[in-house]
Amino acid sequence: MDGATRPLGELPGAGLSDAHDHHHPRPASTVELRARALEALLAERGLVSTDAIDAVVELYENDIGPQNGARVVARAWVDEAYRARLLSDSNRAIAELGFGGAEGDNMVVVANGPSVHNMVVCTLCSCYPWPVLGLPPNWYKSPPYRARAVSEPRAVLREFGVEIADDVEIRVWDSSAEVRYLVLPMRPDGTEGWSEDRLAAIVTRDCMIGTALPSALEPARS
Amino acid sequence: MSTGASDLATVDQALGADAPLPRANGELVFEEPWQGRALGMGVVAIDRAGASWSDFRRHLAAAIAARAPSEGESYADAYYAAWLDALEALLGERGLLD
Repeated sequence: MDGATRPLGELPGAGLSDAHDHHHPRPASTVELRARALEALLAERGLVSTDAIDAVVELYENDIGPQNGARVVARAWVDEAYRARLLSDSNRAIAELGFGGAEGDNMVVVANGPSVHNMVVCTLCSCYPWPVLGLPPNWYKSPPYRARAVSEPRAVLREFGVEIADDVEIRVWDSSAEVRYLVLPMRPDGTEGWSEDRLAAIVTRDCMIGTALPSALEPARS
Repeated sequence: MSTGASDLATVDQALGADAPLPRANGELVFEEPWQGRALGMGVVAIDRAGASWSDFRRHLAAAIAARAPSEGESYADAYYAAWLDALEALLGERGLLD
């Protein structure tokens, strides 16, 4: 294959990059040309394809998913001792499952119960425990959520489809760079005898932000 | 969706604290499109070459340490330039760039 003589425009990724750059035209930087050349070489060697790279970039940019947090919750549901450790020293208990690092270092897990419901917001920006929950949803970063979660949490929860009885206290936790909160929801009825994996599958991201409740009937949405 | 490639959590874990991906509040930071493609290219090539992430991490940490910071260069700029160095070193070591 005579890749070396192909015009630059046919190099993998070149078309996409040009199409995206048309509103601020500038010559490609040296490092960018180098990246394109390496991609072209690897494509020739069959080590990459444009489609495979696109797929990875899209996957990574969109979501790493809340599966780590779901595993923490499921473990707490089946193991009372783990639950106690999780609530008393969240960082260490989360690290037991191999998660954490970077911005997950200052985690505090707050447990829902029959008389208390927790929800999490970041009123200043969008602090979020990404090592366990993946990337934050857009609504979490929106000014209306950030303001209204504090001023009228019950109404916000209703809009999420969560009805909290009047005699249940709602506690709103303001995440920050120092402390990031994770909600431990109550294990729903109808899940007796379920395996940890099956339990983890019904723990959605929103359950751990406190804007949804897990249900034995509904499969987790991604 | 499965791409057959390592997922982001795997990559994060593999890179560890030595050479973490540039992020702002959890989200990956790409200042220019080539940076995202460099990441994707590395993940696909490392997996397809059957190379180990610990070897790549070693190369990446070395490449970051070896690069002289240039004026006005952001962390993401420097990181992904080092990423290309490391990828070339790793694949070159395995004779895949000859």
